[in-house]
Amino acid sequence: METNENEIRLTVKKLFDEDKIDILIGYSPGTLPLRTSPVFLRKEDDVEVLVWNSFCENTLSNYLKNYKDKRVGIVAKGCDSRLINLLLLESQVKKENLVVIGVPCRGVIDRKKIDKITGGMEVTGSEEKEDGILIFFDGTDKKVTKADILHDSCMICNYKNAVSSDIFIGEKEKEEKVDPYNKIREMEENSTDERWNYFNKEIEKCIRCYACRNVCPMCYCQECFVDCTDPEWFGKTAEIKDTKMFHIVRAYHMAGRCVDCGACVKACPMDVDLRFLTKKIEKDVLEFFAYEAGVKDDEPPPFTTFKPEDPQEFIR
Amino acid sequence: MEDNKAEWEPKIVAFLCNWCSYAGADLAGVSRIQYPPNTRTIRVPCSGRVNPLFILKALQNGADGVLVSGCHPGDCHYLSGNYVARRKFAILKSLLKYIGIEEERVQFSWVSAAEGGKFAEVVNEVTKGVRRIGKATKLVKEIYNGN
Amino acid sequence: MEEQVIEKKDIKSWIEGLFADYEVYAPVLDEKKGKVYKKVESTEDINLEFLNSKNSPKDIYFPQTERLFSFSRKDEMGLIPPHMDDKKKIVFGIRPCDAMAFTMLDKVFVSGENNDFYFIKRSENTLTIGIGCIKPDSTCFCKVVGGEPSSEEGLDILLIDTGKEYVAEPVTDKGKSLIEGSSFFKEATPENIRLKEEAITNANEKIQEFDISGLKERLDRGFDLPVWAKIHEKCVGCGICTFLCPTCHCFDILDEEGKEYGERIRIWDSCQFPLFTKHASGANPRPTGKERMRQRIMHKFKYFVENNDIFACVGCGRCVKYCPVNLDIREVLKSLAGDGGGKS
Repeated sequence: METNENEIRLTVKKLFDEDKIDILIGYSPGTLPLRTSPVFLRKEDDVEVLVWNSFCENTLSNYLKNYKDKRVGIVAKGCDSRLINLLLLESQVKKENLVVIGVPCRGVIDRKKIDKITGGMEVTGSEEKEDGILIFFDGTDKKVTKADILHDSCMICNYKNAVSSDIFIGEKEKEEKVDPYNKIREMEENSTDERWNYFNKEIEKCIRCYACRNVCPMCYCQECFVDCTDPEWFGKTAEIKDTKMFHIVRAYHMAGRCVDCGACVKACPMDVDLRFLTKKIEKDVLEFFAYEAGVKDDEPPPFTTFKPEDPQEFIR
Repeated sequence: MEDNKAEWEPKIVAFLCNWCSYAGADLAGVSRIQYPPNTRTIRVPCSGRVNPLFILKALQNGADGVLVSGCHPGDCHYLSGNYVARRKFAILKSLLKYIGIEEERVQFSWVSAAEGGKFAEVVNEVTKGVRRIGKATKLVKEIYNGN
Repeated sequence: MEEQVIEKKDIKSWIEGLFADYEVYAPVLDEKKGKVYKKVESTEDINLEFLNSKNSPKDIYFPQTERLFSFSRKDEMGLIPPHMDDKKKIVFGIRPCDAMAFTMLDKVFVSGENNDFYFIKRSENTLTIGIGCIKPDSTCFCKVVGGEPSSEEGLDILLIDTGKEYVAEPVTDKGKSLIEGSSFFKEATPENIRLKEEAITNANEKIQEFDISGLKERLDRGFDLPVWAKIHEKCVGCGICTFLCPTCHCFDILDEEGKEYGERIRIWDSCQFPLFTKHASGANPRPTGKERMRQRIMHKFKYFVENNDIFACVGCGRCVKYCPVNLDIREVLKSLAGDGGGKS
């Protein structure tokens, strides 16, 4: 891990020295255990603040929209590189302005899973070891294996290495293909009432802070449908009759665009299971249109194109 | 409840494409083919014009069912509007079913300008389906109604 | 009235006895939502294990969505008053920081001239029983903004955990009569008082402190500081910090129309949302995250202080803990108060 960290720093330094980029988006140490924080470096800044570890949970490609006319270097995990492909495809960033520094990713940890291990006690410190994470809480410490605290998205990730990058750091992580849709299939097996109840129970928790939307790199609309006042598509209350509409449409807008980076779930303060919706759509898009978001950079998005043989059994 | 059910008539919002299904509905009328009066037609230029938000908004505002109807594949006045719409509707339909909305609530059909009979049949089937599942409640937004 | 003592084993019976006359709100460990303040039906649900709740209890006084009144569209201006929530309530197990936030909200909603009918109705009918923090979180910084783990402000009764018992300090008359009406309380012994003092001292030592004495001066001439561009850079503009904050109180008022009737509702709003300041013309005086972040800091640490002599921050640490990108308000304050603010 550490070697990668150094290599990232050296690479970034070189990019600045050679005047290839104006700004670098990477990770720096966080102010809390188990956290890192996005950092934006300019030429004069110290590259030593850059880190790369299992706590790098943020999806950095979300920030590209803020630097459209700058030459940007970005540290990209597998999910980020797919998102960058999508942003290129949707003309949200310019390829010539971008230096993608691909990193091999072993997955990031889920703080909420650690909360369960500590029984809700506050984690006062954390250290990453080669074979797991050492967490300190309530005056004691405990070593947990990474597999137990890996984020759900990362557990079923099929693209651990950046799918396309200008510079790749270190050795590629081995990628074993896993079936990412097991949970969705289980859910589909449930009765209509069970599914409806689950949906409601989850959405009920929403406080409408829009963190899910705002951390999503693919949510870049100038005006979100939900902020629209003319027409006012849906009401603005935090009551479920309005929030469920927000979540249905938010998820729907992710069709063919969500790479399951997990940013929305990680950000959600109320632990709403947002992947319950987005993963289903991801599965449908794959099954109906054989499209996997962001894997290739020249495939048109599924809703901008069609095939004569697309499924239509549902149409009378 | 039983009494209400007897009185209740489903309200179905029908988004009909100008070039085919709307003309098909017209033909059904001109040909004096009987079909249930439960649909409220909204004429749209193309089934591709139907933003899924329209469908959801209709459901939130109390529609018991939504029907979207356009030209048969290959017959779109704008060449590919209905093909693109078909993709959007496939995902929407599947998503709504997944979260637990009855499948009968939102339905789609291809009806050409010459198919007055098919239009009547579609409306018949859709109305029957909606009637069977009853009044919509799941996505409806209740606003204070005096009680 | 002197300080009183209640044995820990009696506390649930005491609360149970209050169910008859009050709705009781308390921290609950909800299976799905985590630790939140909720109306409890049984004392079994109350969770006093200390880690502060995720949501602040402000919504007990100031709900996220509130119906102000309804109107009929049939007759002219047929206003229909709302069903007012006038039930007597007890908020049990509230932390001193959150209780202090109530006094802050009072300054906004109960200013003497402009009184918020809805807020007052709720706050008048509510008793607060706080428990001093003997185990503060690492994100707590109440002492920096003028609070302390055993602050009585905004409370009717303050309980301090001394191991086997709680030492109860009746703060207001309402609190006194609640204690007087119960047989579970005994006069505190000098030993009880000693244990209490010890617990408070311990807690005080645990709370981190940092110097923000330069903050006022910096903010006074800081509207155009270059540092704002830096501070907001990682902010994604969501509403977590404002919605979880016990003192944030900005709201929006809108009408919802039905066929024959409509409702005027009030909902929480957030200065971090672009819509917050967007004019009908489409112009937005706070067009980017920079201006919005500056507003949040300025409001809490300058404007509110100028108007009310207190910070609009109680140092509960929620925004620190739940910010999705770890934008730590403590760091922001430090950098503004110290020399990190750059030359103005």
